[in-house]
Amino acid sequence: MFGINKIKPRIDDFLVEIGALSYFSGRFFREVFKRPFEFKELLRQCFNMGNRSLLLVGITGFIIGLVLTLQTRPTLQEFGAVSWMPSMVGISIVREIGPMITALVCAGRIGSGIGAELGSMRVTEQIDAMEVSGTNPFKYLVVTRVLAITLMLPLLVVVGDAVALYGSYLVEHLKGDVSFNLYFNQVFDSLEFGDIIPATVKSFFFGFAIGIVGCFKGYYCNKGTEGVGKAANSAVVFTSLLLFVIDFIAVFVADIFYEL
Amino acid sequence: MKNTKSQKIRLGLFVIVGTMLFVTGVYFIGQRQNMFKKTFKINAYFQNVNGLQKGNNVRYSGINIGTVSGIEMINDSTIKVSMNIEEKIITHIKKDAIATIGSDGLVGNMILSIVPGKGSAPVISNGDTIESYSKIGADDILSTLSVSSENAAILMSDLLKITTSMIEGKGTLGLLLNDTLMAKDMRQSVVNLKKISRGVITTIDELNEMITSLKKNQETVLGVLLNDSISGKKMKTIIGNLETSSEEIETIMANIDAVIDDINSSNGTFNYIVKDTALVNSLKSTLHNINEGTDKFNQNMEALKHNFLTRRYFRKLERKERKEAKK
Repeated sequence: MFGINKIKPRIDDFLVEIGALSYFSGRFFREVFKRPFEFKELLRQCFNMGNRSLLLVGITGFIIGLVLTLQTRPTLQEFGAVSWMPSMVGISIVREIGPMITALVCAGRIGSGIGAELGSMRVTEQIDAMEVSGTNPFKYLVVTRVLAITLMLPLLVVVGDAVALYGSYLVEHLKGDVSFNLYFNQVFDSLEFGDIIPATVKSFFFGFAIGIVGCFKGYYCNKGTEGVGKAANSAVVFTSLLLFVIDFIAVFVADIFYEL
Repeated sequence: MKNTKSQKIRLGLFVIVGTMLFVTGVYFIGQRQNMFKKTFKINAYFQNVNGLQKGNNVRYSGINIGTVSGIEMINDSTIKVSMNIEEKIITHIKKDAIATIGSDGLVGNMILSIVPGKGSAPVISNGDTIESYSKIGADDILSTLSVSSENAAILMSDLLKITTSMIEGKGTLGLLLNDTLMAKDMRQSVVNLKKISRGVITTIDELNEMITSLKKNQETVLGVLLNDSISGKKMKTIIGNLETSSEEIETIMANIDAVIDDINSSNGTFNYIVKDTALVNSLKSTLHNINEGTDKFNQNMEALKHNFLTRRYFRKLERKERKEAKK
């Protein structure tokens, strides 16, 4: 009984959190199609989240491509299957590693940013002030941010994939004298629509999850500076967890549709 | 918090580049599956597709020209494989082309390869069916291999038996391998053979010399026969004479023949003597009579000897004979 008593509030808290998040998402979908649209703020957020993450995503992607190739090469060499390298790296990057790494990096950079920003606005009562002044803070702050990251993340994933593949190509070129054309052909020979379409659709959901969790954590932040830090922290942790759950569901669904 | 112009440009650039990358990626993947090219469809029927899948490459003489677009079970032993082929390649595929299913490397994907036919059949058209040829699968190869290895094992054991018996000195080969005496004998035989062959060589040499001397030396009979052209001519004339003589003998014989025939058939004296049996009988009786006559004469002579008139003469003769015998 003691154990159940101890766990029960936690379960309750968790369920409350999930329920609140669902309501929050529902509100987002209601508000996103309502006028007026905050285009300027959306563009600003897109720039903030898209362009300013480019360098980070690019470097991570490049290193991932490089490292993946370097790490796999000796093993494949043992089997005499180095010629399968481009196919293997291409498929693994496009299908899983590219979207996942990009989403995790963005969860760290953007999710925490949103959480901290909205949290501090809540703490300093700016959101309340907006409500008083007649501006819809949800529309201005939440919808634009969530929409921006939902739209930007797939693009970041594509760029990240490209850079990662280039990194992989560099290793192959330097170590195995593989020409760009050959590498390119082998990568695209092995790729199918069943690889690239689910990955892209998946990254929309990743973006949405990052935005919605960050905004939710920030929007319902506790009072005080401590609350801001907590909001930022829990945004990243919860987002990362959610990303893996979404990834699992996405792969599951894609498996049904594409019979991989 | 205001959007600057450069921010917008950079955002626009990022969005465009990202979208372009995505679209080109999709395009290239689609291109590999011939989604944006004009294609035509051909079919082939197989008994076993060996794990061929939808989307596998179709190769014509080693070039990727399309993809497998569908695999359909027609009945329990026929599978219809349809494929999309690039339209620009259509002029090169003839109706007698043959489709086979192979593997792209040891662990690679299955591929459907079309091999050009030998003849000059007309060009294939959309929806045509081409001949197929099922290669032997890996399973069949393995089963054949197992049979071969069993045979090899039997062979090896037999070989082992042979070699062991050879080492132990059984059989002719074993004797050859192990018996030192035999080896010596063999060596001796070889030496003898050598000697014989040497003798043969000298004999042949001598024969050669003889023949040459015969050819050169015209004194001997053979030399004359072989070399003297005058004698040769003489011999020829002799043989010719012999021939004419034999011809003459033949005519003589023919004449004799005719004479004998004559004797047999005609009524001449000789023939009468030879053939008349009555004459022979009378001659016989005549001779008999003569015999009887001489017998009687002999009796008469004996009677004379004992007669008193002539007795003295016969005694005188006897005495004379005795006197001559005493002398």
